Amino acid sequence: MSEDFSITSDYWRKLIGLDVQEKDDVLKKYKYPHRYVRPTFWFLFGLLARTYWRVSFSGTENIPKKPPYIVAPNHASSLDYPVVAWSMGRQRQDLYVLATKHFYDNPFSRFFMKIAANIDRIDTVEDFLPALKAAARILKNGRSIYINPEGTRSATGDLLPFRPGVGILAVELKVPIVPVYIKGAHECFPPGSLFPRPGKINVTFGKPIYVDQYLPKLKTENAYYVYKEVTDELRKRVTELKELRLQ
Amino acid sequence: MITNIDKEIKTLVSKIIKMPEDKIDPNANLFFDLGVDSLLGVEILASLDKKYNLDIPEERLRKINTLNDIIALAKDLLAQKGN
Repeated sequence: MSEDFSITSDYWRKLIGLDVQEKDDVLKKYKYPHRYVRPTFWFLFGLLARTYWRVSFSGTENIPKKPPYIVAPNHASSLDYPVVAWSMGRQRQDLYVLATKHFYDNPFSRFFMKIAANIDRIDTVEDFLPALKAAARILKNGRSIYINPEGTRSATGDLLPFRPGVGILAVELKVPIVPVYIKGAHECFPPGSLFPRPGKINVTFGKPIYVDQYLPKLKTENAYYVYKEVTDELRKRVTELKELRLQ
Repeated sequence: MITNIDKEIKTLVSKIIKMPEDKIDPNANLFFDLGVDSLLGVEILASLDKKYNLDIPEERLRKINTLNDIIALAKDLLAQKGN
């Protein structure tokens, strides 16, 4: 019987599949034929972004030059992913996304999601593990991932609690998290509305959170609390970006 | 030989969820009654796995709702190990 039973990182690593040898073509399933019309999609979206939503962005210099990393914005609108990915320019090519079955199983939204992103369906309603495993597989293979730490769209636009899954991925894969705050998307296209309204959207990328300083804590604390600390720091940084935009 | 395993596991759970032992009803639902989030639930089992070297299979994680479920799981896996 081990006395250091609080040292649980190994169990989490096994649980999210980090001890599994992957085939080299593990990311092949994201290569839909739809991707050939992707440049056209982004060109047309860019026209809308510039004129209809007057999207502006800042802080893109904070995005690490090379993947893997986690892009973690607030989530209050279905416009969130496209405006963040558009703001990232060419760096969105290495960005992967997981979609809940609610969106993926709708043929209309699935068609557009496959055009716009490297995307996969995740059944996050019943179980969080498939989502963590899929995200870990993407990061392990050197790609970046887009994660909404709130887990769902905020109905009011206010920041919801962040779920610690993003902290698990960052700590166990030792990848940085880029905090992002999206302002205005909720007003243009809130949950429940059928058609997006014109407006003004701003995307702010914050300085990345590097997890090196948290790693020694895995030797003394329950891993969950280390993941949570990283997640709490992320929420703090997103809140700071929000306050910055309100000034 | 295992002695007083129920008490040991209750102490472990209490430390992980940061709640006094006397507030934990063994039949209370950890998630709905005690406000434990699902990932903290996994942390409990991860600690249990480490403490007793159980190798808890992933599919067993989904069947845990109460402290008594955790105790039953530990006893079952320890019995399988021949302790």
